[in-house]
Amino acid sequence: MTRSWGMAFLHRGLGVRRTLILAILAGGIWAFVQLDLKPADLVPTSGGMRVAWAFFSRALSPAIVYEAEFVPSDTPPLLWKALQAAGTTVVFASAAMSLALIWGLLLGFLASTSWWVGDPAGGAGPVTVFVRRSIAPIVYGSTRVLIAFMRSIHELIWAVLFLAAFGLSHLSAAIAIAIPFGGTLAKIFSEMIDEAPRDVAYAFRGSGASATQVYLFGLLPRALPDMIAYSFYRFECALRSSTILGFFGYPTLGFYIAASFENLHYGEVWTYLYTLLALVILVDWWSGALRKRFVA
Amino acid sequence: MWSKGGTNRKSPGGASSSRGARFSLRKSSVVFGSTVALDSVDLEIGSGEAVGFVGLSGAGKTTLLCLLNGTVRPTGGTVQVDGRDLATLSFEELRKVRAGIGFVHQDLSLIPNLRVLHNVLAGRLGKLSFWGGVRAFLFPQRRYVHQIYEILERVGIPEKIYERTDRLSGGQRQRVAIARALFQQPEGLLADEPVSSVDPARARSAVSLLTEISREQGLTLCVSLHNLHLAREFFPRLVGLRAGRIVFDRATEQVGEDEFQALYDLNGV
Repeated sequence: MTRSWGMAFLHRGLGVRRTLILAILAGGIWAFVQLDLKPADLVPTSGGMRVAWAFFSRALSPAIVYEAEFVPSDTPPLLWKALQAAGTTVVFASAAMSLALIWGLLLGFLASTSWWVGDPAGGAGPVTVFVRRSIAPIVYGSTRVLIAFMRSIHELIWAVLFLAAFGLSHLSAAIAIAIPFGGTLAKIFSEMIDEAPRDVAYAFRGSGASATQVYLFGLLPRALPDMIAYSFYRFECALRSSTILGFFGYPTLGFYIAASFENLHYGEVWTYLYTLLALVILVDWWSGALRKRFVA
Repeated sequence: MWSKGGTNRKSPGGASSSRGARFSLRKSSVVFGSTVALDSVDLEIGSGEAVGFVGLSGAGKTTLLCLLNGTVRPTGGTVQVDGRDLATLSFEELRKVRAGIGFVHQDLSLIPNLRVLHNVLAGRLGKLSFWGGVRAFLFPQRRYVHQIYEILERVGIPEKIYERTDRLSGGQRQRVAIARALFQQPEGLLADEPVSSVDPARARSAVSLLTEISREQGLTLCVSLHNLHLAREFFPRLVGLRAGRIVFDRATEQVGEDEFQALYDLNGV
């Protein structure tokens, strides 16, 4: 009796897993059929082929000097300009990330459950119980909705909105990136904090620490190495976003990439792209070096 | 009554001038769901006593310790610390009681990526305000650093004060956990299986350290141990637990071999 029940249980466990894998496969195939994706679409038109060739053939020979026939005499050299644009890209990304980090930490705190979960022994005054039962879930829920709203709108759409509202101000670019980034940081931070091991928090409660102290000194430090590593990754994403905002006219790498692309100066495009690549590698190396100090 | 010849133990309910905490359980039970962890336990522990809780794993030793510092509430009966019933205390008052009782956890509960200094500093949080805690963590006051150095010196690892805790050995980490409990400036010290996280030689020195320090500072000490040899060597009074009940509670030399045998008999649990 017990044995046959046990076998049924075993098979059901496997069955669920098998069904799940098949469902994921079927979903993928359905999406392909729905979009009418076929390999033939990857064969370019003859015109497209020419452009693609012209573009990719310059990958190994990026421009060192301007490709234009006429360059105004007061224009800085191409490589110097690429460096300047890279600098501006970093400045925009840093401004955006500074704002995003502040929002991420604040909203991440409100969106985590750890700060209002009860005491292990359940002891609490009537005010604490009221806050925990009535206020906390409302704060938590509305913060989650706010975070979802911030994240669901891409930085480019925020940028279009702010450009229309405030014009081409530097602040609007920084805020356009900071809003979705702040939302993403808040979501990930809150999850990292909620998933941090609770043993220390429990021990701190036992030595008389308050709920906020437990959060700040028992949970946050445990999640901190992961939070720092993730922030670096988001900084890298912010570099790319700040590059792209150049397409709207901000003097980041994207501005020059778009200009050179329109003028068919593909060599210059590659120069700027390689500058961006160098930037991303630099950030990666820096975060790796820091992580070694923090985590290892 | 409980005192063992040669050790300066005060008897329960004795001189209230002593610093050590007094614990008193009356018909205390703890039920988790359908599991009875403790069943109507009566226990009096006097100021400055050193008591060993012995028994198999799952006998209720840890739950008993958690009752004493108010992290587990009894589902029946009462728990008193220094004559105050924990169930009648406000949350703030309960915090104060907890701040006065150090607890060395079985898993040590240290933050691996923080320095020893900060892990020990955390012991004082219960006695600090929120901003006081923030200040102590970010810019530790000189007198705190000195106190912590002295405590680390006492537990034998002063040179590790600025070391990251996860770079220490198991035995050293255990000393950090003890130091954190001491930096609480407690009146009572509880330790849950201090021998499980280290090798036998270090286990002995850990238990010896706990008893010595408690004696020096007049702290009440309760330690749960499944190692009977250590329990008999270091504690003048033993409380034997089996399946949530106290089966004996008396001076160590008065506990018979047959009672120890019965306590650790795996049959009929």
